[in-house]
Amino acid sequence: MQFRYVFSELRSGLRRNLSMHIAVVLTLFVSMTLLGLGVLMKQQSDIATRFLGDQLQVTVYLCRDGDTNPACAARATDEQKQRVVEAMEGNPEVASYTFESQEEAFEKVKELYGADQFDGDNPALTAADMPESYWITLKDPKEFQGIESEVQGLDGVSQIRDVHETLKPIYEWLDALKYGSWGIAVFLLVAALLLVANTIRLAAFARRKEIAIMRLVGASTLYIALPFLMEAVVTAVIGVALAGGTLGAFMWFGVHERIADSVKFMPWIGAQEYTTALVVIAILGPALTLLPTLLLTRKYLKV
Amino acid sequence: MSTHVIRFEKVSKAYPGTAKPALDQVSIDIEKGEFVFLVGQSGSGKSTALRLVLRETRSTGGRVHVAGKDLNRLAGWKVPRLRRQIGTVFQDFRLLPNKTVSENVAFALQVIGKSRAEIKKVVPQTLELVGLDGKGERMPHELSGGEQQRVAIARAFVNRPMILIADEPTGNLDPTTSAGIMKLLDRINRTGTTVLMATHDVHVVDQLRKRVIELDHGRVVRDDAQGAYGAAG
Repeated sequence: MQFRYVFSELRSGLRRNLSMHIAVVLTLFVSMTLLGLGVLMKQQSDIATRFLGDQLQVTVYLCRDGDTNPACAARATDEQKQRVVEAMEGNPEVASYTFESQEEAFEKVKELYGADQFDGDNPALTAADMPESYWITLKDPKEFQGIESEVQGLDGVSQIRDVHETLKPIYEWLDALKYGSWGIAVFLLVAALLLVANTIRLAAFARRKEIAIMRLVGASTLYIALPFLMEAVVTAVIGVALAGGTLGAFMWFGVHERIADSVKFMPWIGAQEYTTALVVIAILGPALTLLPTLLLTRKYLKV
Repeated sequence: MSTHVIRFEKVSKAYPGTAKPALDQVSIDIEKGEFVFLVGQSGSGKSTALRLVLRETRSTGGRVHVAGKDLNRLAGWKVPRLRRQIGTVFQDFRLLPNKTVSENVAFALQVIGKSRAEIKKVVPQTLELVGLDGKGERMPHELSGGEQQRVAIARAFVNRPMILIADEPTGNLDPTTSAGIMKLLDRINRTGTTVLMATHDVHVVDQLRKRVIELDHGRVVRDDAQGAYGAAG
């Protein structure tokens, strides 16, 4: 096989259909970027689930003095607390629970927002403003309704917070972004496939004389199809490289330098997840351009 | 081992959607080194017979053997190898207009993977053989019809094929030029290459006095060892 011939054909093929190849590269670039984004979103959502699953807790806040909840007449009494403890101990969904005092709650707040805001003569909050609470760890993070409804009506209970509820919007956003980017990626991929098909049709037409002679003198199918396959590979590689670069920029400037810096309560996707996304597009991109090329070269260049 | 290079055994070929078969129970034996004219009116089945030899199509009945191979059983990926043993020349030359004469001839060797050294050696030899010595750098449009056909013959013969198939090679040429082309084909035949030529050209057939197979409506109606174009000849 003469590589010189194949490469010179490849060069002239790329030049001849330059605008088509650019169109293929651009659609592949955008669709692969979206596909990669979807993969990243999915992984972020998995990370969040794993992370939150570890600490999926139901927090039962008890009434305090001056509670905003009208059901709270005053600070929860020891008797009321005892009822809550009985309810938790008798419930099969509860794995364990801990009590958090006002002081402990106040320490947490100080840690989160910086202690300096709460020092001095006129602090924004004092320990007395914090509610007492029970932190319940569930046996199964999905089984929480029973204990919630049981504790809900008890006297002295101000509020029940379930981490699930708090994070629901985040999950919904991640899901929407994931499915949205995948949906658009599918449309663009269809466009990319059609463009690849058209490019081959045009190229095969432009070279029909050469191809007819090649067949006649006994050139192998592979030899005839190779420049077409190489063109497909080159456009796929460029498209995937651009998408990989864009995803890398998104990871660095978007996730690493912004979100992960400002939203620290949850772990964020990193190099490992980026690599996974890269592998996915590096396999799918070339595969999806080579597939129609193989099918069509068989059709148009049949020996 | 038989010395048949081409053998048709009761070969029929029906194209889908047509009532009459293009070839109907045709049996032909062509031996190594023969020069055979295939004559007959348009639609008599000449082109179909040539296409069957090249395995551009398959017979619907009977067997086609070329170069010792049963073409109905030949796997698709082996077809290129078969075609390397067959050179083909057409009425319309089929040269690549953007390549020089030498490049056109070299192209046939390039695409079957011959080395540059071999191409460099063989192409000038072949051009000399066909009488185009010194015209290697010309472009096809700078040549006369006869010269262009010589380039096409050079391309068909450069790989020294066992069989040369010519489909109306003189169809576009005047009688004098045709005679030159026939001389060239005769010369190639003398090197041991079997030549199978489909033609309408009465002069050419009558002059050379070679074997003539006449087809009519897909059947062999005549097979003369040293025939003329017409039956009475």
